[in-house]
Formats: sequence, C-alpha cells, structure tokens
Amino acid sequence: MTAAPTAPTNATTAPTETPAQDLRQSMIDAFFQAVDDGVNLAVVVSDSTSTAKLAPFQAAHPERVVNVGIAEQSLVGVAAGLSLGGYVPVTANAAPFLVARANEQVKNDVCYSNTNVKLVGLNAGVAYGPLGSTHHAIDDLSIMQGFGTIQILAPSDAVEARRMFAHAFAHEGPVYIRLDNAKLPVLHEDGYRFTLGEPDRLREGAAVTLVAVGSVVHEAVAAADALAAKGVDAGVVSVPSIRPLNRPALAHMLRAAPLVVTVEEHSVHGGLGSLVAEIMAENALGSRLIRIGIPDGQFAKTGPRAAIRAYYGLDSAGILREVQNARATVA
Amino acid sequence: MDIASLQNAARTVRKTILRTNARAGQGHTGGDLSETDILVTLFLHVLNLPGRDPQNPDRDRFILSKGHGVCGLYSTLATAGLIDAAWLDDYLTFDSHTPGHPVRQKTPFVELNTGALGHGLPVATGLALAAKRQNRSYRVYVLVGDGELQEGSNWESAMTAAHYDLDNLTVIVDRNTLQLADRTESIVGLEPLADKWRAFGFDLHEARGNDIPDLIRAFEATRTVAGKPHVILAHTRKGAGVSFIEDRAEWHHRIPTTEELERAYAELES
Ligand SMILES: Cc1ncc(C[n+]2csc(CCOP(=O)(O)OP(=O)(O)O)c2C)c(N)n1
Ligand SMILES: [Mg+2]
Repeated sequence: MTAAPTAPTNATTAPTETPAQDLRQSMIDAFFQAVDDGVNLAVVVSDSTSTAKLAPFQAAHPERVVNVGIAEQSLVGVAAGLSLGGYVPVTANAAPFLVARANEQVKNDVCYSNTNVKLVGLNAGVAYGPLGSTHHAIDDLSIMQGFGTIQILAPSDAVEARRMFAHAFAHEGPVYIRLDNAKLPVLHEDGYRFTLGEPDRLREGAAVTLVAVGSVVHEAVAAADALAAKGVDAGVVSVPSIRPLNRPALAHMLRAAPLVVTVEEHSVHGGLGSLVAEIMAENALGSRLIRIGIPDGQFAKTGPRAAIRAYYGLDSAGILREVQNARATVA
Repeated sequence: MDIASLQNAARTVRKTILRTNARAGQGHTGGDLSETDILVTLFLHVLNLPGRDPQNPDRDRFILSKGHGVCGLYSTLATAGLIDAAWLDDYLTFDSHTPGHPVRQKTPFVELNTGALGHGLPVATGLALAAKRQNRSYRVYVLVGDGELQEGSNWESAMTAAHYDLDNLTVIVDRNTLQLADRTESIVGLEPLADKWRAFGFDLHEARGNDIPDLIRAFEATRTVAGKPHVILAHTRKGAGVSFIEDRAEWHHRIPTTEELERAYAELES
C-alpha cells in the first residue's frame, strides 16, 4: 500500500429510487461475467446451491459447478486442488461452516499454500439469527486476519460486491469475501470504483466518525441521518477492504473527529473495532473510541436478526444512542 | 406405553411440529416429520430416564446430531411432558428456551449444542467411552441425518467407537434419501450405506423408520449384540405423515400455509 492519505471520497448521495438488491445476485452476475471474460471458473459448493442462489449459473454451466456434499473440509481442500489443476475456484457456502469447520483447510491448503482460491462466506454475522451460534459467524474477520496471504473483503451494496468479485477474479491468490444475504439499498453510484485497500468515505462530518463494515454500513448511514436531524455532524466511513488496508488513509479520515464509533456485526474482538483501535493508537490520535458489536467473550443471543442488532445497539437507534451518550459525558 | 398410545403420541408430535413451524414462520418441516417416530420411540419407550430428571447421572443420553430437526425434538419433549409445552409458543423468538437449534443451557434433555452437522457422533462416542471407563450403566443414542453422513467427522469417530468396542452406543440414521437441495444419491452418494457401517465395525440393523413397532424391534435387537457399537439404518420418508410434504426436497425448510396446515391436520386425524 502507498502511504498517501489521499483516498478518493465516494459519492455521499445514494442514487435515489434504486431498489434494495441481493448481493448474492451480484455474485452470480460476476460468475457469468468471469466465464464470459475467459476465467476458468469452478464454483464449489457443499449442498449450498440454494444458499448461494446458484441455480441459474448451474443451469447454464453445469460443468463448472462441483457439489462435494455436506463436507466443508472437503469443499476447501477440493477447491485448492482445482486451483492447482488450473481452475480459478470459488467456494460458496454459509460463512460459519467455512470459517469454523474448514479452518485448517483454509489455513494450510489456501492461505499457507497460497493457492488461487476465492472463498465466499455467505450470511455471516448474525444473519441466521434464530438458528443460534452454530450458524452465526461473528469471528470470521478475526480468524481470517490470523492467517497470512489472504485478502479480506466485505461489500456494503450490490455495486461494490460486483466490483469486488471482478477484483477477486483478476487477483492471483486467496481472497475471502464476507457476503450478506440481506436485501440492501445501493449506496454507491454505478461508476463507483472499488479500490483495494481504500477506506470508503461516505459522509464528511466533524463531530463524530462512524466506521462500519458490510451490511451495517447502512445502519451507520441511517444513524448519521438521524444525528444530522439533531444537529450533530456525523461522518461515515465504510471499510470494505479489511486486508489490505491503507492504514494512513484511514488514520487521516479519523483525525478530524473527537469521537470514533465502530460498528460491526462481529465480535468487537479481532474485527473492525480492534483494527481501528490499533490504527488510532499507532497514530496517537487520542480521540475517544467506542466499539459497537458483540461484546468480547460472548456468543450472540438467538432470535430475529433485527432483535439481535437492537439488543447490541447495532441498529441505527443504538448507534444514535451511543453517540448521544458519549457526547453527553464528554460535554 | 402400548403401541397405539405411542402412535397417538406421534400424531400429536406431528401436529405440534406443523403448528409451531407455521407460527414461527421458519423451520425444517421435512426433517422434523421424518424423525418423529424415532424420537417418540426413544423418549416414550427406549430411553431410561430415572425420575425424569435431566440431571440424573444415570440417565440415557440422546443427542440430536441433525440439530435442524429441533422442532421435532421440542415437540416430542413437550408431548412426553419433559418440557413445558408453553415454551413452543416462543419457538425462535429472542433469547427463548426454544431456539432454532438445540441449546443445552436453554432446554432440559438437550445434551449438546448441535446445528453444525457432523458433531453428534464424535461427542456421543466420548460420552459412551466415559460410561465404559467409569462402569456407568447409561446408554448413548445419537440421531444423524443421512446427508449429514457426508461429513468426514462421522467416519473418524465411527472408527474410534468400534475400536473401543462401544456397545453402549447406538447411532440411528434418518435415511430419508434427501438432504438440503436434492437426493443424497445425486449430490454425493452414500450407498452401499449398510456395507459401510458394517465395514467400520458396527452391529447394523435396518428398520422402517416411520413404523414404531419395527423401530422397537430394531432397538431390542441391538441389545442382543455385545462388543460392538450399534447402528439402526432407519428408512424414513422426509416429511412423513403428510402426503403433500412427504419426500419433497423443497420441504427441507418450507413451512405450511394456513390452508396447508388445515389439510395436514385433516390427514393426521383421519
Ligand atoms: C456443518 C454444516 N454444514 C451445512 C449445514 C446446512 N444444512 C442444514 S440441514 C442440511 C441438510 C441435512 O440433510 P440430512 O442430514 O439428510 O437431514 P434431513 O434430511 O433429516 O433433514 C444442511 C446442508 C449445517 N447445518 N452444518
Ligand atoms: Mg436426509
């Protein structure tokens, strides 16, 4: 990464009247595009064709799909083998079973062996709300950061997801993409360029900077709107590229505000909050940091996703409350 | 309990499953109905539960390795009077006693937090080994899905269970021939499944898995064989008991509409 803290500011205005989009559709579009572009793609699933919404691609390119059955260790091992045999494999299954079950295969067969495998973690965070902690992945960003080589990405809308997949297929080496299943409004203009490593400044704001990753970027944007209505000038930075990350650029963006609030549907340990804390400390920013997420040392509650978000203050109302409380105690 | 009462209980469990999933708006209807007769046979006939006490150290242990069949388990526990039936009203709600996969901190008689497939048999193996080594009399039963058997962890501990001669361990395979998206045999074939278990050193019994008397016969047959872990290959139908749900992949996680619920009740009551 270059140290130049000159990351472009992306459009702060969402294009109006764009309907919410399923990011998995962007993934499938990217698969079709990759095949058209001559990428020797192999999509590997573990009885997860419906989770991945793969049916149209499978119908068009059955010879490019491998279903290994309910066997995630085999999923990742087979993908690594396909890559050694000349394919560009992409796995698509529920994030918890990728990250937890196939952990050693990810570590050794993909990251350590530096094979050209793209791993898509579907429905991470607490997307599977009532199904409980076996199905939650609140540790994927942390675990992936523990491994060498792999790039770690999380889009916040369909436009960004498309650009990210294009990057992943162009890049030679392991990539992890944390892909949400929520239907999300589009935050970015069609011309948006995802730039690997760059934090994505969505709003300028002097009083507080909200830093978020993935689908909760939308909660941060909504909280910034609510704060603006109360006369509080809140900035929003999305971090779609957890690794690599232009740390000086992020430090620069955080320098302005006396209060930084991180928002992640992840444990506050080892994810975005920890990363921002490191960057603030290393750059001696001295401003106050609040990390919103699943508290360290806990599994998330079970229940509807919205109720879980509300419980941990991960929704826009919770973010608003945290910011107001923090400002009250500072003042 | 006599056979007619067990069959009656199974009907109640099926109705409870359908109603509970429909109300929650989410669930695994096919897998819940597939396993119903196995769970009823276990909880109302086979398992030794002294004092009906979930803490009694001599209780037989049951692990639902196919944890997504949790509504079948809650409905059976409620029908057996082992949990409060009112808890089913809170199925899948925030922080409830009845979450979408079994949680031992929440529900009595749940021994392990399952939901990620392929964990039940290894843990059941350890639990059975603990009984052997400490001369305890409890038996360990574990219900696995057939698709679940694609997870290699099952076969790792199958070797271990046979190696340690764990004849206090019984695996029941819910052999409904369907997994999440399709037939097991079109995704990654399991056959010849009986030969596989035998080759791994198990005492194998086949049974009609939606037929309570035949299940009882199979459970009794396992008791006549010593020195090996047991497996009952229970040939079931996913969605068993309701004609329009049976044997259809889409009912893996479909739930009945109000109209379908009425039709299903009518079938179960006829
Ligand atoms: C480790 C893991 N991988 C994937 C899943 C997702 N999943 C839930 S149920 C299921 C299909 C299970 O099929 P089977 O074992 O045959 O159960 P049944 O037919 O009785 O429902 C899958 C793939 C999971 N729960 N755990
Ligand atoms: Mg099955």
